[in-house]
Amino acid sequence: MADTPIPLEVRNIKKRFGDTEVLKGLSLEARKGDVITLIGASGSGKSTFLRCMNLLEQPDEGDLIVHGEEIRFKHTKHGREPADWKQVVRMRARLSMVFQSFNLWSHMTLLENIIEAPIHVLGKSKKEAIEHARALLERVGLTARADAYPAQMSGGQQQRGAIARALAMDPEVMLFDEPTSALDPELVGDVLKVMRDLAEEGRTMVVVTHEMGFARDVSSQVIYLHQGLVEEAGPPQEVLVNPTSPRLKQFLAPKY
Amino acid sequence: MIDLHGYGPRLLEGAGVTLQLAVLSLIFALILGLLTASAKMSRNWLLHKVATLYTTVIRGVPDLVLMLLLFFGGQMALNVATDAIYDRFGVDWYINLNAFAAGVLTIGFIFGAYMGETFRGAFMAVEHGQIEAGKAYGMSPWLVFRRIRFPQMMRHALPGISNNWMVLLKTTALVSVIGLSDMVRVAAEASRATHEPFTFLLPVAAVYLLIASVSEWMFARLQKRYNVGFGGH
Repeated sequence: MADTPIPLEVRNIKKRFGDTEVLKGLSLEARKGDVITLIGASGSGKSTFLRCMNLLEQPDEGDLIVHGEEIRFKHTKHGREPADWKQVVRMRARLSMVFQSFNLWSHMTLLENIIEAPIHVLGKSKKEAIEHARALLERVGLTARADAYPAQMSGGQQQRGAIARALAMDPEVMLFDEPTSALDPELVGDVLKVMRDLAEEGRTMVVVTHEMGFARDVSSQVIYLHQGLVEEAGPPQEVLVNPTSPRLKQFLAPKY
Repeated sequence: MIDLHGYGPRLLEGAGVTLQLAVLSLIFALILGLLTASAKMSRNWLLHKVATLYTTVIRGVPDLVLMLLLFFGGQMALNVATDAIYDRFGVDWYINLNAFAAGVLTIGFIFGAYMGETFRGAFMAVEHGQIEAGKAYGMSPWLVFRRIRFPQMMRHALPGISNNWMVLLKTTALVSVIGLSDMVRVAAEASRATHEPFTFLLPVAAVYLLIASVSEWMFARLQKRYNVGFGGH
């Protein structure tokens, strides 16, 4: 399989905020079709780690290789920064992110949200982008809401819409940052179902989540983070069913 | 019908001067305001300081003083510059500062500082997640600005812009001190000559009110456009 480059490789990422080192050297390799879930208590660094993968946070150390292309960094007085922002823009277009708070653009309708980046970043024609968007809306069950503004939609609809927006980029890797954490419990199921479908069709995904059922059923690899380090990692049957670390055992134990 | 003692055409011309002056100053102030807001939000230390100095000085000195300073001071500065060019290169580039251009530059310069603060507040009101989503989808900073930050910022900025515009419109009356025949200057002249101040000043007040009302209507329409998607209005 040397002919197709690995979609996403991250090596030895370190990040500090002021005096606190939040990531102490984390690595990850997402091969085609992998579903990697990052779990851990809040403050373990899982969201920051995910945000380093598309450089919404700048890692202080470590390498990032997207589709075989290594991101170049330079050192400035503001710290370490990408040397070539065009390269970053290109790499971000290959990854797409689904946020905890959806972040659909509030001044655009759902359809406009979905066609925005395909037209302006990927250079697709409007007609082609709209056709693709309609198909994606049907897939996430939102055909009827194409012309609604985000403020007029429920949280679950917004998140499914945001997933459609992410899919419209034909991403190589999808990054999910706690996609169900801001949702009312009864809306979580619909979003998880869409994500399960994506995993089944072989999408490469990196998911930060608290949904242990999802992690157990669909991940190819589960990584448990504790204070910026990998405490335990492996297939879900091992990590979630027979954890060895006492901390992870406690983390997975029923809370009440 | 009021008898304008033959001043009608000149008053109308004056109204034209007022309107042109106000609109051109507004455009200049908006551009300067956007630049100032960007400079103030920039990481560049020098840009930040220059912009802060500009907004502090301009907002702290009376408009009339600034106008006289910029008009006469500006002419003096130009003279010094053109004299230096003459002495050194023998080229005679004497430039007489046109009162209309000076008016536009001065008013635009003053209101650029107010607009800058309006824009800065409005930019800061845009939710960070909206910008992050743009970045995460591979948009360049310019694309994020054009497609997301600017349209969302305008929703917050419009009430302030509209307010600044109303004040700017009335500030144009000050240009009579630098010899520009706007409608106030014509009316004052006519009042003195005929001893009938109300005959001229009431129509002038009505014209200001008319411009203000029309622009209020236009701003309301703009506000509606930029409010789309926010809170279902």
